[in-house]
Amino acid sequence: MRSSGLARIALVTLALSGAVLGVRLATPSISDPPPVAPPGSGIMAEQQRGQQGFDPREMLRGRRRGTLQQPGGPHEFYFTRAIYSSGWGWSRWATDYPKADRQFMTVVNRLIDIDGSPYENAVRLDDPRIRDFPFLYALEVGDISLSQAEIEGLRNYLLAGGFLVIDDFWGSWEWAAFEQQIRQVFPEHPIVEVPIDHPVFNAVYRIDEVMQVPAIGNYWGGRTWERDGYEAHVRGIFDDKGRLMVLINWNTDLGDAWEWAERPEYPLKFSTFAVEMGINFIVYAMSH
Amino acid sequence: MLDALFELFFKYRPLIFEQGDFAFRAPWTGGLAVAAAVAAGVLTWRSYAQVRGNSRPLDRVVLAVVRLAAFAMLAFCLMRPVLVLSSVVPQQNFLGVLIDDSRSMRIADRDETPRLQFVQDQLATPEGDLRAALNERFALRFFSFSSETDRLDVVDELGFDGTRTHLGQALARAHDELSDVPLSGLVVVTDGADNAGGELEEALLPIQAAGVPIFSVGLGRESYERDIELGRVETPRRVLRGSALVTDVVVTHRGYAGRPVTIQVEDEGRIVGSENVTLLRDGELQTVRLRFTAGEAGPRLFTFRVSPQQGEMVTQNNVRETLIAVDDRRDKVLYFEGEPRFEVKFLRRAVEDDENLQVAILQRTAENKFMRFNVDGPDDLAGGFPRTRAELFQYRGLILGSIEANYFTPDQLRMISDFVNHRGGGLLMLGSRRSFAEGGYAGTPVADVLPVVVGEPRGDGEDGFFVEVAVETTRAGATHASTQIADTEELSVARWRELPPITIVNPVTEVKPGATTLLTAADSDLVVLAFQRYGAGKSMAFPVQDSWTWQMHADIAVDDMTHETYWRRLLRWLIDGVPDQVVTELPQDRVQPGEPATILASVGDANFEELNNSVVLASVTHPNGEFTDLPMEWTAQRDGEYRATFTPSTEGFYEVRVEALADDELLGEDVTYLQVAPSDAEFHDSTLRASLLERLAEETGGRFYTAETASSLADEIQYVGGGVTVVEEHDLWDMPILLLLLASLVLGEWSFRRFRGLA
Repeated sequence: MRSSGLARIALVTLALSGAVLGVRLATPSISDPPPVAPPGSGIMAEQQRGQQGFDPREMLRGRRRGTLQQPGGPHEFYFTRAIYSSGWGWSRWATDYPKADRQFMTVVNRLIDIDGSPYENAVRLDDPRIRDFPFLYALEVGDISLSQAEIEGLRNYLLAGGFLVIDDFWGSWEWAAFEQQIRQVFPEHPIVEVPIDHPVFNAVYRIDEVMQVPAIGNYWGGRTWERDGYEAHVRGIFDDKGRLMVLINWNTDLGDAWEWAERPEYPLKFSTFAVEMGINFIVYAMSH
Repeated sequence: MLDALFELFFKYRPLIFEQGDFAFRAPWTGGLAVAAAVAAGVLTWRSYAQVRGNSRPLDRVVLAVVRLAAFAMLAFCLMRPVLVLSSVVPQQNFLGVLIDDSRSMRIADRDETPRLQFVQDQLATPEGDLRAALNERFALRFFSFSSETDRLDVVDELGFDGTRTHLGQALARAHDELSDVPLSGLVVVTDGADNAGGELEEALLPIQAAGVPIFSVGLGRESYERDIELGRVETPRRVLRGSALVTDVVVTHRGYAGRPVTIQVEDEGRIVGSENVTLLRDGELQTVRLRFTAGEAGPRLFTFRVSPQQGEMVTQNNVRETLIAVDDRRDKVLYFEGEPRFEVKFLRRAVEDDENLQVAILQRTAENKFMRFNVDGPDDLAGGFPRTRAELFQYRGLILGSIEANYFTPDQLRMISDFVNHRGGGLLMLGSRRSFAEGGYAGTPVADVLPVVVGEPRGDGEDGFFVEVAVETTRAGATHASTQIADTEELSVARWRELPPITIVNPVTEVKPGATTLLTAADSDLVVLAFQRYGAGKSMAFPVQDSWTWQMHADIAVDDMTHETYWRRLLRWLIDGVPDQVVTELPQDRVQPGEPATILASVGDANFEELNNSVVLASVTHPNGEFTDLPMEWTAQRDGEYRATFTPSTEGFYEVRVEALADDELLGEDVTYLQVAPSDAEFHDSTLRASLLERLAEETGGRFYTAETASSLADEIQYVGGGVTVVEEHDLWDMPILLLLLASLVLGEWSFRRFRGLA
């Protein structure tokens, strides 16, 4: 899609402003009653309980036991975050969670005609219910340490038709660690650079250049890079038929741009780009 | 035997009584005698009335009645009753003798004697009894008939190798040839097979009008003791390559009830499907469903076969052949989706390996923003959903996803209706928050087309309707081609039960009259898949919003092909039989060498309006590579219908390619195939069809005979036949039965008197 830069920025700004306000109003305080979301509950049960707000205590409990699921009713699309095992014991899967997820989905629901859940949804890689959500987002994978069950769960998920977007890991050391792990999932498929003319870059918005999106802390520090990750890359793993299964955003942090889009000090160009990329990923994943 | 007994008592055979008119031929003295008999009767009555003695009144009545009966019989005889009937003049009349020369005459179904033996014994030589008897009275003209009818000079040269029996044609030909001579009738010696199709009634009319009786001699048995026959096989004339076919084969048998047999289908010698069945009761029609795939493109001859069983009388009818034109082309289906949905992705994945399906996708991502996939070029669907009929009608199928009715203009809604009704396309509506009632389709032309009743939305409050259901097949769905997701019917039904539940947001519970439900929710009355024929096309409703669950769910193995199989078969069935602008049709796709073949073509413009002024040309490619161009003419019987005829001379497959032009623009072309081969019809339904032959005789005033009764044929034609005749009178007064009756009456009176002691 072609549009003038100003118009695009204005449109995304408008959407982001509404999204931030909406998320803030919807997010309950810590004194609100905690949601009832036991492991094993499905979409139907969640629907019956209604759309509960986010509770940080529940999130922490979820981190400890490694599962959390909060789909908000029977929607066509759930922004689903992969819960994976990390090497240092810290649940890096939950970085930016759930604020980034909610803000991003609010924008998505306003910008495109999609029936998307406005809430976060996190599922373990070794949970069979992951197959209920054909779109998966994972970040901070530089410390990922997959169990055999997670490897098999992710492999089967992707071979069945799931789509995984990787985000927010930086530098050669984290790349090497991630590559070693993802090789266990797909030893037979190479990781290749996704060319800029690939359909994923213009599924909805036309992306002409892969921009490096900084984490907010780094931006305040005056740089867009971390470690030795000076250049952003979008790489992919394709299946035997050339279908994109895994989209890897390396040396960039789209999630932070979604999370901090409401901060005036965070440049709009990064948020706009991150939202456009994210929407492209979703629409591509739902149609290709 | 009965006839002989009858003749013994009544002096003549029954035929004479049937044909003759009753009359009295008494001279004037006869009247006097009758008057005397009447007077005697009156006197008798009076005398019995006056006599008393020791007799009771009942005795006098009995005696009077017996005496009067005797007088009445005498009076009857004195009146000289006769039968008046016409009889052909010997050697003044012709008789046509038509002898069946087809292969079915070789069937040895009477004491292991072939049917043709009767011909050889009775008619082949002048010494044959029947021929000699006929020869005494008539001038005989012999004809042989099978697929052709020929005059026959030497009867014993018959080869009995005809591959088809055109009984009507034979009767018409013989009648024509003998129309200028005094004709006593036509004798047809046959087993009664007529597999020409519809010619008989037409041929009979002039024969009936001319009053020529037909004398039919039926050979063979009306049923076999032991035989298995493959009857009707119903297959489509053309399919897409790779299509899964579900074909019904009708099996009948005698003498093998309870026996397990295997029915196979072969594609040019390679077994592509089989089904084991246990034969039902004798004579019962048994429908066997065979599944196979049309894997190779071009004219494919599929052979259905059941192995010959021990003791079978006719094994040639264990085989049926059917010609299917297998097209290797990409048929276009338009999938219009109103929002990003995973159905798009997984439907694309399901059919992407199907080289014969092109699912062009138009997907709305935001208001007036569309994505296009699998389109023909940069301009294809660039303006969104087609706005003209010509643009929409280029597709064979149309899938409507989550797109609300309000998106379309009123004309576009009518256009979608016309796509099915007029163009003959296939429409499929998917479940979603913006389809069916939830999409506002109630009262629209699209709702009229759909096989389900579209009412007002029935949601549960603001959240709308939402339910998770397991799916099961209906009785129709268990066998329908679109819902076959496993190799056999049983496996397919079981597989449907195993599939993980899907979700429905459109509470569709009612199908329209004439529609068929194929899939339902297991525990509710929700319709999951239904179809109906509508106008020239068909429509389907699949109110499921996430069939991708059958691909993605954790219970489904990653290499499972159920989801792919379902969508491919569903879409192929949806567009099966959808016509092009130019459609070629052969009323008979199999003819014999030398038999004319008719080519019909339907021609329409881009809007599928019939055109009567097109230039239509049929190019026929012979098996040896030669071409024949045949200009086709408008039939003037139906709009847009053109016809040409040609007569193939050699066996093999003929490619018939029809092209149509209008205003120097090619409207389209269509290819079909003609098989030229000897017919296999002779051994199917090859038992003696006595009912047909009896009807022939009855409707023309003739008589029906079997091999056993044919000896009386010559005598009877003498009185039944037409031509040059004379009137004969046959006296009845001297019939033995009358003498016996008279004697019985007199003896009876005497015995009664003795018994009662009256005399």
